[in-house]
Amino acid sequence: MRILFFAHLKDVTRCAEMNLPCAETDADGLWRALIAVHPGLERFRSSVRFARNSEYVGPEDRFNDADEVALIPPVSGG
Amino acid sequence: MEIKIQITTQRIAEQQQPPAASLGARVEFRGVVRGEEDGQPIRALEYEAYSPMAEREMHRLITELSAAKPCLAARVIHRVGIVPVGEAAIYVGIAAKHRAEAFALLAAFMNRLKQDVPIWKRRAIGEAPESEAATPCAVQSGAVQSAGEVLKLVGEICRPLETERISLACAAGRVVRESVCAREDQPAFDRSSVDGYAVRLDDTATEFHIVDELRAGDWKPRRLQPGETVRIATGGALPREKLQVVMKEDVRVEGGTIAVLRRNHERNIRFRGEDAKAGQELLGVGVVLTHGALGLLASVGCVQPLVTRLPRVLHVATGNEILPPEQTPKSGQIRDSNSTLVRAFLGQWGITPDQRRVAEDAGQINSEIRSAKSGVDLLLLSGGASVGEHDFTRRLLEEAGFIVHVSKTSARPGKPLIVAQRGETVAFGLPGNPLAHFVCLNLYVRAALETWGGQTRRTDFEVGELAEDLLAGDNARETFWPASWQLLNGKAMLTPLRWQSSGDLTALGSANALVRVTAGAGQLPRGSRVEFARAERT
Repeated sequence: MRILFFAHLKDVTRCAEMNLPCAETDADGLWRALIAVHPGLERFRSSVRFARNSEYVGPEDRFNDADEVALIPPVSGG
Repeated sequence: MEIKIQITTQRIAEQQQPPAASLGARVEFRGVVRGEEDGQPIRALEYEAYSPMAEREMHRLITELSAAKPCLAARVIHRVGIVPVGEAAIYVGIAAKHRAEAFALLAAFMNRLKQDVPIWKRRAIGEAPESEAATPCAVQSGAVQSAGEVLKLVGEICRPLETERISLACAAGRVVRESVCAREDQPAFDRSSVDGYAVRLDDTATEFHIVDELRAGDWKPRRLQPGETVRIATGGALPREKLQVVMKEDVRVEGGTIAVLRRNHERNIRFRGEDAKAGQELLGVGVVLTHGALGLLASVGCVQPLVTRLPRVLHVATGNEILPPEQTPKSGQIRDSNSTLVRAFLGQWGITPDQRRVAEDAGQINSEIRSAKSGVDLLLLSGGASVGEHDFTRRLLEEAGFIVHVSKTSARPGKPLIVAQRGETVAFGLPGNPLAHFVCLNLYVRAALETWGGQTRRTDFEVGELAEDLLAGDNARETFWPASWQLLNGKAMLTPLRWQSSGDLTALGSANALVRVTAGAGQLPRGSRVEFARAERT
């Protein structure tokens, strides 16, 4: 699974993207896998939304290995 | 309804074409970067977007909002990258039948944009609260760092690379990553250090009967009787202990016997374990394998030492004016000397970079940077020296997902330096002129190579003495002055080379050191103690 990081999350993970080998899972499972690799992400969990293949996900959505998943911290465009 | 969305790194033009259908009302909005953020003065904001999603979200928002507030056309341009104060970060143009709908749609769109569209800004000074989590070295745009700070940062972001076992034949210059110990005593047996005759230590006779002859490589243990001797060559294994070798010059040979003419206490034996005992460490972790060290490894049978793998390096020289050095430049063109300089510099570590020479074209450079994805440890970009080109390099790196840690140093030459990182890849954007290259390679890239290699780091600077006056003039900034150094009576003596500006290249011919001249030092008289960095692999 391709994972993208933006803004200050890049500073936490020190990378803009990573490959996370992952069986199909839900948002909780994905968070656990991400925090295992980058423990520093934990404190941002409450403020970060997931986008799967360029769309925000709903609470029931699941993720699989072919997805591109972006971690979207609070935005500040404009 | 016509919707046009654009995310661009280009400046948003003052005049925008109105949305195609302009009936009744047309409203335009520009979000311009202010000179302060949270009471702090800033010079620029930096925007980043998850572009495909941001475009899609903006499109979706307008479609959704226009259901309640009907309009005819919309155009949105959002700029990303560095946006200086006074320039627009966003442009929105809405066309509708009536002004109320156009105003309402614009306001609603801007509100929703600030909630849902994946675009982020960073302040140049005064980070947003959530960004305080950023590591201190993740530097904001415009931040200037000293050479010492850059060196420290490089040491922090590089970690020793993986190890590999390689044959001694190609291990010169590599850094050994396991302690190498003697497997047996060195030497492994008592050996004669001269050509001569071995006799018992306790045998005080002056005439001896020759009972055998031993050459190097022979192994013939035997017990000598009083009055017996064996002829032995240098390096030959002694037949047993408690012997002495009388040099052949000190005896007279008569047939099968010798008469000892002189005999002293010198035993002329290199004793077993005299050089190293079994288990003793011969090379420690972090030692650079010199040809001497390789000889030592061979002598103890360590033929596949564990060493740090070499970093994979991609070097991209950019510029429309550069051409291969074998060609003759036309007016306005120059030969590309940096590619040769970089290759030779890396060659000191046994590294052969993958090198490209490309025109200053975003598409081409971008594809080179992106191709660096597969396992490149070090990306070197030789760019032009001007501010515009510097920003260009920086933007390309950011678009390729790099985090820019350093965008400028306070040291010269080589002030417009970029240090960026993407995962395990470290990128250096080097200012175009060769002397700045020379300085940045020898200071910063060297630090990266040494840290990656896992070698025991020496200090960044050594101390020497000026052999001649150094006239740094009005140096408001820390300066690394090209010099040639040599050891004279145990002191490193540094001769400053003629140098006016970064463009002067003749100093490259003989520079093997960089004298660190602190900001404002002006003139340093001959005999001054100075710090210097050696511009050669040490």
